[in-house]
Amino acid sequence: DNSITELLGALCDCSIHGVSWKRRALGGLSKEGARKALKKRAYGALLSGLFRPGASRGPASGPAATAPPRNRVLMVSFDLRVAGCREEAERLEELLGALPEGGSADAVLELLVHLAGSAAPPPASF
Amino acid sequence: MASGANANMNAVRETMDVLLEISRLLNTGLDMESLSICVRLCEQGINPEALSSVIKELRKASDSLKASENSTT
Repeated sequence: DNSITELLGALCDCSIHGVSWKRRALGGLSKEGARKALKKRAYGALLSGLFRPGASRGPASGPAATAPPRNRVLMVSFDLRVAGCREEAERLEELLGALPEGGSADAVLELLVHLAGSAAPPPASF
Repeated sequence: MASGANANMNAVRETMDVLLEISRLLNTGLDMESLSICVRLCEQGINPEALSSVIKELRKASDSLKASENSTT
């Protein structure tokens, strides 16, 4: 199950994990309908980049946006140090050193840099 | 032969563990399952920036689904 179509379908399924479909069905929205709508949005987002002028450069500009993903992770690490999160910064650099160079690892690293900070912050523990 | 395959499996698992921890430190919101799908999509040649747009779009869609679910309770 490694075709792009199947993998995108699996990504859609992950994103609707935890939705209660029994109650949804009463409101007229089936799991299959939601899955179809999500797939449409996923393909829309994937393909829109192809037709946007200058899309290959991405929305961000400046030297940071064009730097290799490893350098961008190091920039994040620097930001963490400045913010006083020294342990996290050191761990990030250590992990970066353990990652094999080149291949798909760099592509995944670039994806992670694009998604950095996009999740809700973890709840504060007391 | 089998030990070579095992070593390769271990290397893949270690790389996944490293990527997952980097992902957590960067606060990307990806779980192991989503991350492994993303790794396979990157291996298929999907542009990482375009893939990040897909993930953000799917999050918006699922958030609105979950929000409407909560408003009907």
